[in-house]
Amino acid sequence: MTNLSNLLTVLSTNPAVILFVGACVAALFPHQFGAFRRPFMLLAVAMSGALLWRLGLTSFGELKIFGEDVTMVRIDPLGRLFAIVFHIAAAINIIYGWHERDRSQVFASLSYPAAALGGVLSGDFLTLFVWWEIAAITSVFLVWAPGTRATFLAGMRYLVIQVLSGTMLLAGVVLVFRETGSLAFNEVGLRDETGAVKASGLVLFLAFGIKAAFPLLHNWVQDAYPKASFTGSIVLSVFTTKLAVASIARAFPGEPALIYIGAVMTIFPIFFALIENDLRKVLCYSINNQVGFMLVGIGLGAINGATGYAFTNIIFESLLFMAVGAAMYRTGTANATELGGLYRSMPATMVMCIIGALSISAFPGFAGFVTKGLIIDAAGAEHLFWIWLILLFASAGVLEHAGIKIPFFTFFAHDSGKRPSEAPPHMLVAMGISSVLCIAIGLFPETLYAYLPDPKALNDYHPYSAYHIVEQTQLLIWAVIAFAVLKVMKWYPAEIPSDNLDTDWFYRIPGRALAGWCADATSAVWRLSWDAFRTWFMGWMSRIYSVHGPEGQLARAWPIGFMALAVAVVLAFCLVLSLTS
Amino acid sequence: MAEDHKKDPGWADTPGFRRGFLIFLGVAGLMAVIAGFIPAFQKKELHFALEAIPVFFAVWGFGSFMFIVMAGRHLRKFVSRKEGYYDELE
Repeated sequence: MTNLSNLLTVLSTNPAVILFVGACVAALFPHQFGAFRRPFMLLAVAMSGALLWRLGLTSFGELKIFGEDVTMVRIDPLGRLFAIVFHIAAAINIIYGWHERDRSQVFASLSYPAAALGGVLSGDFLTLFVWWEIAAITSVFLVWAPGTRATFLAGMRYLVIQVLSGTMLLAGVVLVFRETGSLAFNEVGLRDETGAVKASGLVLFLAFGIKAAFPLLHNWVQDAYPKASFTGSIVLSVFTTKLAVASIARAFPGEPALIYIGAVMTIFPIFFALIENDLRKVLCYSINNQVGFMLVGIGLGAINGATGYAFTNIIFESLLFMAVGAAMYRTGTANATELGGLYRSMPATMVMCIIGALSISAFPGFAGFVTKGLIIDAAGAEHLFWIWLILLFASAGVLEHAGIKIPFFTFFAHDSGKRPSEAPPHMLVAMGISSVLCIAIGLFPETLYAYLPDPKALNDYHPYSAYHIVEQTQLLIWAVIAFAVLKVMKWYPAEIPSDNLDTDWFYRIPGRALAGWCADATSAVWRLSWDAFRTWFMGWMSRIYSVHGPEGQLARAWPIGFMALAVAVVLAFCLVLSLTS
Repeated sequence: MAEDHKKDPGWADTPGFRRGFLIFLGVAGLMAVIAGFIPAFQKKELHFALEAIPVFFAVWGFGSFMFIVMAGRHLRKFVSRKEGYYDELE
């Protein structure tokens, strides 16, 4: 490490470090000053945001670590876009969780966004790795927060998977460094000049893929997020997968494999979400589906579309999580079978949930409409017919599970008989801010477009062209008509309390059994080995003890003169050896 | 916390609202389809031939939704287990 004072200067001017320090201080607030904890957290977000604004597009913090150049902070258009929305999300989450007094959640709800922020602003892989791991460790506190055995086990599984991702990231960094001689976090690519997959790219790709919840690697989301506290799951829904999306957009733009991976991700969660009873799990499948759209965008090289959609998704996805969370806060459940009819007593929450639903479904006038179109249009422009068709199919699927199922089964459907109070004021304020953003971005997308990585590419893009509105309205309205037909004909499947198996079954049941079998087998082999070699081993030990033990020959005090002679002999031997070799 | 009340029909449960909503949907769907036939609302530079069909997006949206629900419901036969399945095994 060189230049310690330079390092301290860099740390003190890093927005992510300010947030992280704010998290530590907030968690240590004495109980008698608990009322000031949340205002202080908001102040930390405001300070970090102001610093980000003042710094503008820049990079700083060039240091030498272990002799290699690192750039601890790089604020480029891509990083800035994610940094802005991370600040917005962090502030909204703080307001939403205003009632929360648990120190571990207070700490995690700010340190975890800080880590994600540090990750998207990293200029080198080493800095990225550090923030990547901090994000993994801080976020697990949110999963553990309820303090039950189920949440502990889920947290451990979550941690193992996140740390695996971090370990693979480190391995990938080593391979990239060996290949390029640089730690700079720039485009890596999956293939070399000959078109062959290169090891460094593949390992990094998988590291990012685990965190982005690629198909078959996705189930940690459904396993962990719904087990967190309802405020924790909202925080979790924002940062981990979007940090991965930002990293993929930087390292693998235009990678064709992402188009197909993303396309699969947009489809399969739709079917699982349909039969899922836990509405928070439905939203977790929605995260998978939405990240799929982003990956397709990155794979197509439509970075504006992918990042713009990530920006808006963070706002409307968390709005849906907040609405379901508010219902859960008031009723104690997020199961569709136990909810329904809440519109009577929670009308404001219902209205804001519908705004989130309209946004995620990409109805004209809402945030999703002005960004999702960029991705679907890119697939059309590349003449990828099947991908284009799949994205349209998936759009109908988004409407089904996030646009209709969430608000319908929470606030309408059958009357659960529950008449809870409206959500507390701080939750309404948080949801209100998100709702206003969903509408404002939908109506005035130019401001968002100006902050996308390549705004000039959007000079000729007009989301409110007549045909775009007609296309999207036809697709969505007729999908809603299909829902109405299914309900009227009673073909829509009733919600059933159940646990649905997904890929986590492999490591939770046979994987767990295999681990247990391995432990038992290791123990048995050890016992057999010990029984077989015990006599021989103990004989050896007694002989060694007789020589090296307290009474042994080698434990005797030797005269200094003898030791000096022995050293001289060894040195002479070395001298002769060096002269003759 | 929530309190259970005697079930009473709210505004969304009245037959009038339901009928009105279905009529609104029908009218909106019809208008969206009609708009697809108006030349000024049609895409000038097509990527695929399907885009030239005025009702393509309506048909695809309706068909996709129906397929997702009608096919997806059968997924339960393969992956659904009783609630608490993992709690008992872990």
